[in-house]
Amino acid sequence: MKLANRRIRLVLAVFACAFAAMFLRAAWLQGVRAGSYERLAAGQQRATIVDPGGRGAIFDRTGVQLAIGRQATTVYANPRQIRDPKATAALVAHVLKLDPQTVELALSDRSRGFTYIARKADPERAKILKKAGIVGLGFVNEEQRVYPLDDVAAQVVGYAGTDNHGLAGLELGQEDKLSGKPGSETVIRDPSGRAIDVINSTPAHEGQSITLTLDHTIQAQAESVLSRTIDQWHAKSASAIVLDPHTGAVLAMAVERGYDANRFPLVPKDRQRNRTVTDTYEPGSTFKIVTVSAVLSEGLVTPHTAFTLPYEIHVADRVIKDAHPRGTERLTVDQILSFSSNVGTITLAEKLGATKLSQWISRFGFGHLTGIDFPGETQGIVPSLQNWSGSTIGTLPIGHGIAITPVQMAAAYGTVANDGVWMQPHLVDRVGAKDRPAVVSRRILTRRVARQVRKMMQDVVIEGTGQEAQLPGYTVAGKTGTAAKPDPRGGYSKTKYIASFVGMVPATNPRVVILVTVDEPAAAIWGGVVAAPAFQQIAGFDLQYLEIPPDAPQTLTHQ
Amino acid sequence: MVWIGGLALLLVGVVALNVAVLRLNVRLDEVGQERAQLRADNAQLSSEIASQAASGRIVALASNRLGLAPASVSSWTYLDLRK
Repeated sequence: MKLANRRIRLVLAVFACAFAAMFLRAAWLQGVRAGSYERLAAGQQRATIVDPGGRGAIFDRTGVQLAIGRQATTVYANPRQIRDPKATAALVAHVLKLDPQTVELALSDRSRGFTYIARKADPERAKILKKAGIVGLGFVNEEQRVYPLDDVAAQVVGYAGTDNHGLAGLELGQEDKLSGKPGSETVIRDPSGRAIDVINSTPAHEGQSITLTLDHTIQAQAESVLSRTIDQWHAKSASAIVLDPHTGAVLAMAVERGYDANRFPLVPKDRQRNRTVTDTYEPGSTFKIVTVSAVLSEGLVTPHTAFTLPYEIHVADRVIKDAHPRGTERLTVDQILSFSSNVGTITLAEKLGATKLSQWISRFGFGHLTGIDFPGETQGIVPSLQNWSGSTIGTLPIGHGIAITPVQMAAAYGTVANDGVWMQPHLVDRVGAKDRPAVVSRRILTRRVARQVRKMMQDVVIEGTGQEAQLPGYTVAGKTGTAAKPDPRGGYSKTKYIASFVGMVPATNPRVVILVTVDEPAAAIWGGVVAAPAFQQIAGFDLQYLEIPPDAPQTLTHQ
Repeated sequence: MVWIGGLALLLVGVVALNVAVLRLNVRLDEVGQERAQLRADNAQLSSEIASQAASGRIVALASNRLGLAPASVSSWTYLDLRK
């Protein structure tokens, strides 16, 4: 009996010791080591998944994507966990099409615990690598910005960088609307990696999509015409704007040579600029409509008022001549514009006076920002009245000694096309589902004066310097411009010119205003020869594309 | 005896509920991944559609492959429905 009791006590003691040991172990794990084990468990079971919040797409007015986010996979590595850097580098480089030596160098650097192997790699290739199950390699999905139309409107749309922030063009200008707000989700995973519980979740907010006023078809055609024009005249560059004068909507804003926005890091910055907004030029004769509109508005002349005009005119210390030698002639205001007479335009400006001319230049928006929704707009250089020299009244009225942007000029011609009302040019039509706020507008000319100027510009195309802009079936109004470029050493270049043409069709009720500038054409220099045909090709296409019926069907030759 | 049966039923119910919640969470995770993949595919396809439907490309194909040329202004006829 005694022996049995002793045995029971022994078993009890063993059990008591075992339970005490278990209790102590439990207390040790639950109390003393709880924090570190909890962290260890959390590290193994919990995962925070970041949803970057997609960047909004950019659409043209027909709903075609000009910029869109596409999924890519970023491949990274922890070099300390890579067992065989050479073999791993060979495989990674082969799958991702990278330089094996560069990858091996990155994977061999054991002083670092993290290194990128490829940012935003092809997800299909990354998937192959993931399946290989190499310890030390990691994969994370990222959004990659792509531009499906490659080089169409590249300078306008701009581009976003590796971190998906806008770096140029509308991608930069509309960054606050396009960029999304990242969200995250903390989940508990089972040993096989499946999420079995969601601890907390912050939803991501997608960036807003933007719809532009640009039409990719009109844009692509304008770019194609400019490219051919550059080739034909061996020019340095060319640009064009197609504007709806009634709304200020920019239908095309082309700069050639363009570039593929998907390859922006390889392209020089100079080629990436939207020069129609950021760069200035001396307009030359296309500026004469400002002088003519001003004298008509002030009631000093009518289109039929005639002046006796010599071939050259003395203004202070300068002698200014017409482009082509001629004898003294009697020209009406209409003919002064048609034949682009410098002497005639200066005569009109002298009649107007410096103060009034300065006011009218400002009223047309020159020397001021148009407020177009594109980053980096420049206001140009217009000498203030106090800084005018004696000869300024001879140079400004004919578009010399002044620097303007193509978009300012297109908006000024838009005023004439829109019966005297200036409309602010704009590129963004809608942000998300919201229409843009009302466009800024102001009346500059009376309806009567705008129509008189338009009629005179029609004569420029019918019998003047702009005959190359004629379009069968349509009336065309426009003005040519040829301006020598300023020489960095002083004065003007004798070999470098800017040829331009600005016009509107149909002249009886303009639906589009088109500006074309060609920089440094070599084979010919005149706006009527170099730029007017480009205008004619762009206008001809746009009229058909926009289904605008002919307003002068009698000029059509039916086939 | 009844309360033992009731308690057992309750425990089985709690376990069953937890298993159901677990299954739903797993399914939710799968659906989330599927959604992400579909979004990625959608973006990829949209981008391909935009590239393929670009008018410049179509004009070039029509011209190079089929020898087509843009219609001239004189070959168009507009009907005035008011007449």
